[in-house]
Formats: sequence, C-alpha cells, structure tokens
Amino acid sequence: MAFDLLKSGKNKPPLKPKPMEEMPHTKLGIKYKEWCNSHKTRHKWRNIRWAALIFMNLLFVVSFAFDLSILEGSLSGSRLIGFYLMDPFNALQVLATSSTTGYIVHLTMNFWIGLTTILLFWFFLGGRTYCSWMCPYHFLAENTEKLHNYFVKKKMIKEHSFHIGLRFVFWFGFLILAVVTQQLVFEDLNVVGITSRAMIYGPGLILFWVVGVLLFEIVYSKRFWCRYVCPIGTTWSLVGKLSPLTIRFELDKCGYCRDCQDVCLVPHELWFVQRGKATQKVHYTGSDCTRCGLCIDTCGGNALTYTIKGWGAVL
Amino acid sequence: MAKKQIGRREFLISGGIAVGALAVVGTGVHYLDVARSDKQLRQDFLRPPGAINEIEFMYGCIKCGLCVQICPVQAIKLAGAHEGLSYGTPYIDVREQACDFSCDAMQCVETCPSAVLNFIPFKEAGLAAVEKATAGVVNLRNSDINPFEVQKVAMKETVRMGKAHVIKDTCLAHQRKGFKGISRGKDFEGIYRAPDSKVAWATPLKDKEFDREICNLCVTECPIGEKAIVFEPRKRDGKMRPRVLEGCTGCGVCVMVCPTEKPSIVVEPVKS
Repeated sequence: MAFDLLKSGKNKPPLKPKPMEEMPHTKLGIKYKEWCNSHKTRHKWRNIRWAALIFMNLLFVVSFAFDLSILEGSLSGSRLIGFYLMDPFNALQVLATSSTTGYIVHLTMNFWIGLTTILLFWFFLGGRTYCSWMCPYHFLAENTEKLHNYFVKKKMIKEHSFHIGLRFVFWFGFLILAVVTQQLVFEDLNVVGITSRAMIYGPGLILFWVVGVLLFEIVYSKRFWCRYVCPIGTTWSLVGKLSPLTIRFELDKCGYCRDCQDVCLVPHELWFVQRGKATQKVHYTGSDCTRCGLCIDTCGGNALTYTIKGWGAVL
Repeated sequence: MAKKQIGRREFLISGGIAVGALAVVGTGVHYLDVARSDKQLRQDFLRPPGAINEIEFMYGCIKCGLCVQICPVQAIKLAGAHEGLSYGTPYIDVREQACDFSCDAMQCVETCPSAVLNFIPFKEAGLAAVEKATAGVVNLRNSDINPFEVQKVAMKETVRMGKAHVIKDTCLAHQRKGFKGISRGKDFEGIYRAPDSKVAWATPLKDKEFDREICNLCVTECPIGEKAIVFEPRKRDGKMRPRVLEGCTGCGVCVMVCPTEKPSIVVEPVKS
C-alpha cells in the first residue's frame, strides 16, 4: 500500500474520459465557461506563499541590518538561531572539489550538520517547495512571467520550450566544472545566491546578470532558469522524490479545463489533468512540483489539494 | 496553450548547446584563474583571519557572508562583481575598518561553515598557551592566571593575515614630526578598541584625541603590542621610528589610525 503511493501510475492504461453527465459543471447546472472562470480571482495560497517568502527573506535582511541572531548569512549558507543550514548544491560543489584535493577532511562539523538539517527539513516539506516558498529569484521570475505571457498573447514573441532533462545536463555540468576548475563556478552565476546577497549585503554590478536572465525569460523562454537550468532546484527535486507533502488530484472533480497546467511552472507534473490521460481516480504530483499552490487556487472544481502522502496509512 | 511533446532530437540539440555554454564558462573561469595566478605573488585581498591559502580559499568559500555578519566592528566585506572570480568572497579593507580583535574570539573563523577560515590553528594555539601558563599551578582559582585571557591573547597572536610595512617617505616619525588632534578627521567612521581603552568594546577613532611629540600612533594603538611593532631609535642616527616585527598579524589597525593622507604604513597580504 505504502509502496503504491510512490508510483506515478503513468505506465498504466488510461481511464476512459468522463461523460458529460459526470462533469462538474453539469452537476452544478452551470455553463462550462462559467465554471472554468469561477475561481480565477482566488489567490489564497499565492498570498500565503508570497507572505512566507517575503517574511523569510526579510528575516535575512533584518538579521544583518539590526544585528539580530535570528537568520544570519544568505541563502548560500546560513545560521538559524545558531543552527547551520547549507545550500545543498553549494555543498555538493564543495564536496566535489574538496574530495579531489583532499581538503574534505577539513570541512567543519557545522558543514555536515547544516547539510543534513536542511536536507531533512525540505525533504519533509517536499524538496522543490524551497523554490516557490523560499527562493527570491522565483518571486522575481513569477512576476516577470506575467509580462512574458502578455507578449506571447499579443503575438509579439514566440514561446520556446525545451526538454526538461536539460536540467540534468546543467546539474552534472556544473559539478564537473567545479572539479575541473577548482572553483565554485556555479556560485558566480547563481541568480538565487546573487539576489539573496544583494538584498542582504547591498546591491552590486552583478545584479545585471540577474536582470539579463530575467530579460531572457521574458523575451525568449518562459521561466528558463527555473525550468531548465537551476541545479539548486534539480537537487531539491532529487531530494523531494519521496517527499510526503505533495499535491493530490481527484479525477471526479476535474473538468478537463487545464487551467492548472497554464499557471504551473512545471506543467509536465500535471500530465494527468488532460482529458483521457489519468490512469487512476487519484494522482499525486511528482518531485518536480514546487508545491506553489497556484493550481489549487485556479481549479474551479477544487480537484487539487495539498496532502501528506501516506498520512491515512499512518492513522 | 498546447504543450507539444519534445523529442530526443530537440533534447540532444539543446543539451549540446548547454554543454557548449558550460564549456565556454569553464574556459573563461580557467582563463581568469590563470591570468590571476600570474599576480599570485601580489595578492590584492587581505582575507579575514585564518584564511587558508588563496587558491584553496576559492575551493571552499561558499559566499554565504556569515563572517561578514558576525564581525562586531564590520571589518569584513564581500567583493563585488568587478573583482571577477573573487566575487562574493570576504576581504578586509583595513584603511576603512581594520580588524581590531575586539571580538576576542576569532568569531569570523569559528563561524565559517566550510572552514576556509580555519579555526584549528587558533584552537591549538589557545589550548597550548593555556596548558603552558597553567603548568605547575595546583589550584587555578587561587592563582592570578586567567586562562581565558591567556587563550584570547594566544589566539590573536596566531593570526597571520599579512604583514605591515612602513612607507618612510611619508611617515611623520621618519620626518621627525609630531601629531596633534583627531587622526582621521571628524567624519571617519572606523571603530576600534585601543590598548588603553577602558571599555571592552570598540569605540570610534574620531572620539580619541592624540598629542604626540613624535607621531607613534601605529605603535601605541597596535592591539598586539611590542611583539608586533616597536618605537625605537635607529642605530645609524638615533631617529625614533616604528619598526614592524615578526609578530605582526596584519590586522591593519596601524593603517587605519595613520594620520597621513595616504597611509604611511600598509599591510601586505600573506603570500601563499
């Protein structure tokens, strides 16, 4: 039973699409379009998430500005009330470079504690949850994405999408680069760390790089960094493979409108919402899902909810 | 918006471009690295105490800025993007704000999670000093020895960030000139804990007025004391001038307090 929860069910034969009588809008007796738009203005989870994200990042800023020992450091490495936390991809790079040079033995106990703590913490919260609930770049990109969508809608630019496996090319690539050059190369390009440091320690010329990446996302490919490049997100997605906290989909309430896929950062995780694709009555999103809750907000039939996998089995 | 399936061919193309981009980045980094290592003997940055050698420093510094945050006198800053590969790494600009050891605990070193600021030598030196000082003492409570004080002093004397040297052309002592007044002007923000300070924390330099017949601020304000710098007559002509000794830690307090327009004493970072 518990093992079944880990399977996506993608390989099974799909269920038959629901007939018209079973569609949620027929049950409610309203028009399909009306039903689709019924939740367009709901932003409950987005608002909660933005508040949490801004709060956490402000905590970094005020901790430095007013010399409070609450959340010191930056997103590359920090201390939460004395407890070390370490960015896992950063740590991986340090491990990669230091194991080839023998420097690994000098790494502090705080390094190991920080790495383990943060891995456990975000594992329980879903891995890539970090992206949408913590990452300041995600916040910027999420908002500039609207510009991109506007341009695409006005047919001023074309949408370019890539293979989702591209992230692993970058993930391995940056690790190999770290070993070859003996530098934490990614940290120089890391828009997440740069944004975080700029907020905490003051802005610098390097912010032009962040603006550049944002512009690229606006004019060329939607959420390019988050979807196809960011090795931090990829690391979290690996961590979140077996995460309990995820999003649950109920086919019975779904109206096949696919609004959720439109707002989703990683639409391939919502493959089961398309008409005739679902193989089970209930599906869970996979490890690429950032648990941002945009799909929950937008769903007219409340078919999507936050859930803790296996909770029922535990009870 | 219909999401079209992206096949293997597209993946190979975009993957190839990605690998190419990474290769370009790698070559760029390598090029900058080589270009920099020519200047290795003249390393521009004064790293915080306990920094391991510059090349290894770059392996491990994760640019988190914890050392910046913990420093009570805010001596440590993060390098900007114009410093190339050193972007985001910590350094100390001693003319603006020197490391005055008023934290008494090597806090930046202790907080560093990736140990590029290596605490081990300080720990060992501190323990050794305490052991030496308390050897033969039966009851520590009845003795005058304060082991914490011993440890503190031993730890700060172990620091080797760089070494100061005097620039004779501008040094007031070398010109047999005195100094009276506030050394860096009323607007200078730097703080430090002078050896004769009555408080345990750092106070603004601008609050202190000096009056010296022959300027010797670098000597009297040195947090290490006579192991690092002395004011003594030159053998040749008996002219009093500061002389930097082997015990200099490179903390840069002398550079910060120096009253001449350009500092007449500068700290050369350690060469690795």
